[in-house]
Amino acid sequence: MKKLLALALITFYEGIRNRSVFGIAIFSMFVFGLNVIVAGFFMRDIGKVTIDMNLSGLSVAGLLLVFFVVVNLMAKDIDRKTVHLVLSKPITRVEYIWGKYLGVVLFVFVSMAVLFMFSCFTVILVKGMHSDYFAQFSWTVFSLAALFVFLKIAVLGAVVVLFSTLTSNSFITLIFSISVFIVGTSVEDVLFFLRSGLAAQDVAVSKTLWIVIEVVSYLVPNLAVFDYKISAAHGLMPAWGQLGLSLGYGAVYIVVLLVVASCVFSRREFN
Amino acid sequence: MLEIEFCDVSKVYNPGLFKPRVRAVSELCLDVIQGEVFGLIGPNGAGKSTTIRLLLGLLRPDVGKILYRGRTSEIRSIQGELGYLPETPYLYDHLTLEELLAFCGRVSGLSPAIVAQRGVRLMDRLAIIDARRRPLRTFSKGMLQRAGICFALLHDPSLIVLDEPMSGLDPVGRKMVFDLLTDLKQRGKTIFFCSHILSDVERLCDRIGIMNRGRLLQIVGRESFVSKGRDMLHLEVERLDELQNRTLRPFVTALDDECSSTIVSFPATDLPRVADKVQSMGVKVLGSRNERLSLEDLFMLTVKAD
Repeated sequence: MKKLLALALITFYEGIRNRSVFGIAIFSMFVFGLNVIVAGFFMRDIGKVTIDMNLSGLSVAGLLLVFFVVVNLMAKDIDRKTVHLVLSKPITRVEYIWGKYLGVVLFVFVSMAVLFMFSCFTVILVKGMHSDYFAQFSWTVFSLAALFVFLKIAVLGAVVVLFSTLTSNSFITLIFSISVFIVGTSVEDVLFFLRSGLAAQDVAVSKTLWIVIEVVSYLVPNLAVFDYKISAAHGLMPAWGQLGLSLGYGAVYIVVLLVVASCVFSRREFN
Repeated sequence: MLEIEFCDVSKVYNPGLFKPRVRAVSELCLDVIQGEVFGLIGPNGAGKSTTIRLLLGLLRPDVGKILYRGRTSEIRSIQGELGYLPETPYLYDHLTLEELLAFCGRVSGLSPAIVAQRGVRLMDRLAIIDARRRPLRTFSKGMLQRAGICFALLHDPSLIVLDEPMSGLDPVGRKMVFDLLTDLKQRGKTIFFCSHILSDVERLCDRIGIMNRGRLLQIVGRESFVSKGRDMLHLEVERLDELQNRTLRPFVTALDDECSSTIVSFPATDLPRVADKVQSMGVKVLGSRNERLSLEDLFMLTVKAD
């Protein structure tokens, strides 16, 4: 555990001191600030728009952190052969994967926690300006929705770790991770469309394509299960069972991805 | 006691689809004895770095096995006593040297007090102590190399594996590292290293292995190496033509053409015979030297003959 924490700590430092983080933070603050300005432009549902914009801003910031900082943290270690130095120390390859992931999660958590605080400040500001539109607003639901945005980013972090073990090229890791994100966020809608029978009216879906989509839906994480924006915007508390399922799904998915990554990494050769 | 044993190890790289496979190391048999300094030299692409990666467990041999301390093929069993410096140490850009060494100490099971004590001693010795709180991305190439050495040696390993330890160092840095390695040698550490700076290898190593095209061509022990060269004589004569070359070759060990002359090498005892022959051919002698065969000469002879 000591080794995992040591590795997590240097990964965290590497991440948090990356200059891209400042850029992402400034971008997020711009989005939150914009929210304060544009909120007044809406005739109604100002509360809903505010919550929606804040959670979306938080989500985009998380995605930028994963795709531009975490990919570098993982893939560059292998690309630049820093991993040779680390693995020459008494650290097993499995410890390396878990330690790096812990560091990545810590980095994403701290960064998103700071951004969440700014987001809360924005909400307080807009709420003060247009308090009538925040009658149903709940800090608990808003915080839970933000927590699940973090969980989505943590799952994507595990995806990045897995792809980093499969390839030495950071660009390939980035492309595959973005693909997983796109498929992961849309797979539920695609399946719903196909199962609803609406598809049959518009397009003919072959049996093979149907099987492929079914298989992909099981392989790729369904990121839509972490989306509680609508609940937060309406101040509706989701059922605890549903939250538990989403949390369990995310945790199991992360563990599975890291176990696969550990197996691949243990067998990998470093030229 | 044997520290490392390469038993008939071969490694082939598969560079990708439709590309020919590359034999990086072929039937390598090599022993490194505990407490000795073993140098591995060879031209670029000879398989030196692959040998080191095989030794570190970063690559797996296709054929053969590597034994550590004569009993196990598991690198993990000796990893705590191993220090490694790669050819170009890419360290974490945003960490400071102090943080890097703290990480090394934590994973090696050292207490913070020992890390601080040894870290300061090493950084001071390698003259980078003033930069210990600076991010590593601001370090020059030579400073990074020295930081890499600190990282490799902090936990006081008994087996030290160095890939081009003098690479990127200025003469002062080279001297510092050389003195450090000499100290480690005197303290009985086993050192296995690759270098292109043959004069350092010659001065430091107890045994030297010469590799070319993935094969170990020769291992020269320090004693045999010195005595092998001690009674050699080298005559510099005017450039020999092909006929003269063919006439003289049976009487000498080597004939090396240089720009405007030929170096004739032969055992000192053969001097009268060779001198007669050179005289009878009417070839002008430009100079002579009786210093021992340098490692560079031996390296060039061995690689050329392969």
